[in-house]
Amino acid sequence: MAEYAHPEVLVDTTWVAEHLNDPNVRIVESNEDILLYDQGHIPGAIKIDWVADLNDQVVRDYLDREHFEQLLSAKGIGNDTTVVFYGDKNNWWATYALWVFKLYGHKDARIMNGGRAKWIAEGHDMTKEVPSYAPTNYKAPERDDSTIRAFRDQVREHIKKSGVALVDVRSPQEYSGERTHMPEYPQEGTLRGGHIPTAVSIPWAQAVKEDSTFKSRADLEALYGGKGVTPDKDVVAYCRIGERSSHTWFVLTYLLGYPQVRNYDGSWTEWGNGVGLPIEKSYQG
Amino acid sequence: MDRQEAIEFLLDHYQNPRNHGPLDPVDVTMPGGNPGCGDIVTIYLKVNDAGDQIEHVTFEGTGCTISQAAASILTEMVEGQPLATIDDMDFNDMIDQLGREVVNTRPRCATLALGTLKAAITQYRNNKIRADLDASSA
Repeated sequence: MAEYAHPEVLVDTTWVAEHLNDPNVRIVESNEDILLYDQGHIPGAIKIDWVADLNDQVVRDYLDREHFEQLLSAKGIGNDTTVVFYGDKNNWWATYALWVFKLYGHKDARIMNGGRAKWIAEGHDMTKEVPSYAPTNYKAPERDDSTIRAFRDQVREHIKKSGVALVDVRSPQEYSGERTHMPEYPQEGTLRGGHIPTAVSIPWAQAVKEDSTFKSRADLEALYGGKGVTPDKDVVAYCRIGERSSHTWFVLTYLLGYPQVRNYDGSWTEWGNGVGLPIEKSYQG
Repeated sequence: MDRQEAIEFLLDHYQNPRNHGPLDPVDVTMPGGNPGCGDIVTIYLKVNDAGDQIEHVTFEGTGCTISQAAASILTEMVEGQPLATIDDMDFNDMIDQLGREVVNTRPRCATLALGTLKAAITQYRNNKIRADLDASSA
């Protein structure tokens, strides 16, 4: 992993196994399937749920500073705690949670390479015991929505500029407009299919290997650079609700070291429902 | 049912789904989906000859533990029930049946199968109206 631009943000399963009792480390499981944690998790790991914990429960937005401080304090996470995320679906939701933590500037947040699947495949211990940690007094700055987060109107301006890149990380069928959701997923949620003009298609899963770990730096550079997504550009990534694109944001930012990458979390569920927003659609079915 | 019992109840149905698979003969095949987290449930419905009672209902699907377990549980709940009973079933009742404490952050997953079954019954009735009209005009 030393080959990556910021190798310190990625830990392997062995590292986690060796730090299960490290008081400076908090292991956090974030899944799409909320019952996986209850079926077994890494000993000492806590759960942070993208729906109940990280989203505002009324407005489509993330939790505010006060609730973020309360959440982390209750989970026993201090400002100096090393937080290691892992989860299902190739760490989709783990990178999503990490991205939210970075909106609040948490210093040391990492991903366990390979996620939950690799931990289980290697036969590491799992437990159903839910740990309890002494609460902390976490202090966060106001959420910074300007550095790693993009909004609809910013994307609208972004696509008029030169020297920028826009990455659609959804499936090819979603990109073409044939579908409005992933293959095998329900065709609901957006009124229009297609992609944002100028976006290049690089499905997020192309960044990982079969064992759910990330591809090598050279392979990733070829993957993104080959489509014109290079480190000299202002890059925005999007998907459907911003979870898959948080994975690509993580890859570009930390594994390849791109200096300017934002995640458009409104993504296709906002753009594909927006009145008058431009859409390119290649599917003619 | 405490939290752990509710989890075990759901896991049992997830790992050993009841009434799973397509149905033949079938009156209505109704796909349903939850775009929030990608759950899919297809309900297969067979209604009795009188047209007022579920004769058999099965399901197929993919997705999270809650959505698939809820579908399995629902098929057991509604077997042989009058269609009017399904009309009266409330999404909150379904959430309580599954264990509110466990599923309350995933209400759409918990109620996907019930919503799909309700849609299947609506389609069954619409099909019957059309068939009756065709018969009367023939």
